[in-house]
Amino acid sequence: MNDPFIKIEDLNFSYTDEEGNEARVLHGFNLEIERGSLVAVLGHNGSGKSTLAKLLNMILMPQSGRIVVDGLDITSPDLTEDQLFENRRNVGMVFQNPDNQLVATIVEEDIAFGPENLGIEPKEIRRRVNDALAAVGMTEFARHSPHQLSGGQKQRIAIAGIIAMLPKCIIFDESTAMLDPRGRAEVMQTILRLNREMGITVLHITHFMNEAAMCDRVVVINDGEIALDGRPQEVFCHVAELQEIGLDVPQTAELMYELNLSGVRDGEGRELPLSCLTVDECADELCRLIDSL
Amino acid sequence: MIKDITLGQYFPGNTILHRLDPRGKIILTILYIVVIFFAKNLWSFAAVIASAVFLTIISRISPKTLLKSMKPLIFVLAFTTFFNVFWTEGEVLLVKFWIIEIYLEGIIFAVMMIIRISALLVGTTIILTYTTSPIMLTDGLEQLLAPLRKIKLPVHEFSMMMTIALRFIPTLIEETDKIMSAQKARGADFTSGSLAKRAKALVPVLIPLFISAFRRADELATAMECRCYRGGEGRTRMNILHYSGRDTLAFIIMILFGAALILLNQIPSAISL
Amino acid sequence: MTEIELKNVSYIYSPDTPFRKVALDNVSLNIHGGVITGLMGHTGSGKSTLVSLLNGLNRPTSGQVLVGGEDVWADPKQVHRFAFKVGLVFQYPEYQLFEETVRRDISFGPRNMGLDEAEIARRVDEAASFCGLSPELLDKSPFDLSGGQKRRAAIAGVMAMEPEVLVLDEPAAGLDPRGREEILGGIRSYQRMRGSSVVIVSHSMEDMARYSDEIIVMDHAKVKMQGTTAEIFARADELKSVGLSVPQITELMNRIRERGIPVRGGIYTVEDARDELLRLISERRGRR
Repeated sequence: MNDPFIKIEDLNFSYTDEEGNEARVLHGFNLEIERGSLVAVLGHNGSGKSTLAKLLNMILMPQSGRIVVDGLDITSPDLTEDQLFENRRNVGMVFQNPDNQLVATIVEEDIAFGPENLGIEPKEIRRRVNDALAAVGMTEFARHSPHQLSGGQKQRIAIAGIIAMLPKCIIFDESTAMLDPRGRAEVMQTILRLNREMGITVLHITHFMNEAAMCDRVVVINDGEIALDGRPQEVFCHVAELQEIGLDVPQTAELMYELNLSGVRDGEGRELPLSCLTVDECADELCRLIDSL
Repeated sequence: MIKDITLGQYFPGNTILHRLDPRGKIILTILYIVVIFFAKNLWSFAAVIASAVFLTIISRISPKTLLKSMKPLIFVLAFTTFFNVFWTEGEVLLVKFWIIEIYLEGIIFAVMMIIRISALLVGTTIILTYTTSPIMLTDGLEQLLAPLRKIKLPVHEFSMMMTIALRFIPTLIEETDKIMSAQKARGADFTSGSLAKRAKALVPVLIPLFISAFRRADELATAMECRCYRGGEGRTRMNILHYSGRDTLAFIIMILFGAALILLNQIPSAISL
Repeated sequence: MTEIELKNVSYIYSPDTPFRKVALDNVSLNIHGGVITGLMGHTGSGKSTLVSLLNGLNRPTSGQVLVGGEDVWADPKQVHRFAFKVGLVFQYPEYQLFEETVRRDISFGPRNMGLDEAEIARRVDEAASFCGLSPELLDKSPFDLSGGQKRRAAIAGVMAMEPEVLVLDEPAAGLDPRGREEILGGIRSYQRMRGSSVVIVSHSMEDMARYSDEIIVMDHAKVKMQGTTAEIFARADELKSVGLSVPQITELMNRIRERGIPVRGGIYTVEDARDELLRLISERRGRR
């Protein structure tokens, strides 16, 4: 990674509550995110993953450490207000509750909100709004009111509102947590398309392991530290560690792990591979095993 | 259920009324209210009724909907009618019973009052709320009031607040309904007992509702900041309001209507105020 | 062991308006007592409406709802009694917390039932322990708890009413795996200890596979399927036709069977799959 889009170095962040107790959230945290990649950040509630998102957008300020986003050191004391807002434009955020991020009473007006704040020409805003609506597949809902939409549709509108600011990166802060399976699938499809077709760098914070399995890379955060990091096939091999942290693993990996624990070995006396994340891969392995007996 | 209350009702459409500039419409509405008070005799009142009918027709809003919207006004109408009928003294005494005296003038006055108030309501709702989307209305208001920014009035902030309020009214109504249902499921009783008891019964609804509203406000503020919101300074708008020929036409019609009422007032009429 | 019976129940939103919507269409149904019933179906299938009819919150447009044989709407003045018989926990119940302490919040329901203080205290303690809330948490403000704890406090508030039937609408929504397990595990131990009836509305096939005894599947305002958990998951194609999936493990076992390996059907947990495969492996080894 010669030119990471996000580079976090030795980051420390802690909250101080009303009684003056300090709670460390991130300590000595290092992470690099490659340009154009689709990275899942997995962790249980309170693991520090949402704090990370807020730090990348300067909604929170770290106590120490450095964050460089797209070549801009956003933790620098010399950061100007214009640079701060430029970073917010460049790194969009989609939050958990779809209701609490839509501002306007009409879908297209809401999507226009970001570009309007940037002082863009009306004609150009109109063009961007139309493009963004098309990108999330919501063109026919342009004149609807947000409260008539389903959760998944609202999230797609929120995403369109971010795309209209032409960011290079979007952070999804548990954006699928409150949705039903259909809404989750809609949002996941949209995320994949943004990354694959528009080349947007995506950080997808979630606790759904099946969503993480669709990404290029999975970073597991526990107690403010990176517990596991790698391709989904590599990370989900660590069944015991993940269960210890309180996260799920795909049932296929869990089954292989359980069979290994029960002493099942293949023809050459090796353990069964844990890296099969799909039903087909796992069925292949098991059929081969049973047929060899 | 609270859900049935409709606020800021707007009927989407594409009639000439829908297409008028909202800034013009706000001024037109004020003009209409003033002009209606010019009417003094039978002829001019007939013209007022005609104007309300005309507006209803060109707005393509069903008269049934309009009548429904007037329901809350029945009390006001009944109240003014009552006072006009019983307290107006005139020359033609119709009924005299005990201390009650009803004069013809009182009845005429009451009828004219009903026409005035109804026309007022029909005019303002049709011109403004029914045919102007809330967001256009807020935009129009913001731009009309823009000169007040010079004397440091927070015009943009005010209109932003209006927009957000309009956006969240349905959400919060739904939420109130949900919390009430949840507390009912825990045995809360909102319908029986004294007024004080009922007010107290609302505490388990109001506290969660306030907490939720603050949480929403907090999250919304963060989301707005993330979308580069930094106040009205340097902000552009996607939709620019266009003042066009038809807006001028609307003003001319309104002025002619006012002039017509004044002229009609000159025609001798058996009934006048 | 209270049963709930629906007889030809329909529910129509905004009748006589252009927004008319049939949410339940002539539904007849028996929800069995003494078990955990999973109620599934995607958003808009009518399951939330169904739930709101069980405790008299909404009145069916037509048909009867019977709780333990009693018609909920036989006497509309007495309908509030059913709120205590059928405890209803809504989605995101943590947003209904309002009291100064967790203890007082949990006792809100029991107090509305007119119980004496000693009984209230007993029920609060018991419900809190089912929900995994330690005694020192009870004197805290509910607003100082973590997200998962708030959720559990809200559920305890309904459990403390000791309803004959406990109905929960997506009790684990939005929680991480550990939070889900704490809540659903607590509900199961409550049900097993008290032997009462529990209905859980859920979108998660994996959760329902693990925690429910019986399953009802709703689709387009009607009951599409009803049976034991094993029976329902054995009908994978039907589940897919209503837009639901089966657990990944069920799909895997079905795939293996399609390839000619004789594993049994209706497997829906990793443990069962492991045991079935181990049985098969040792059988083949034994033969060799």
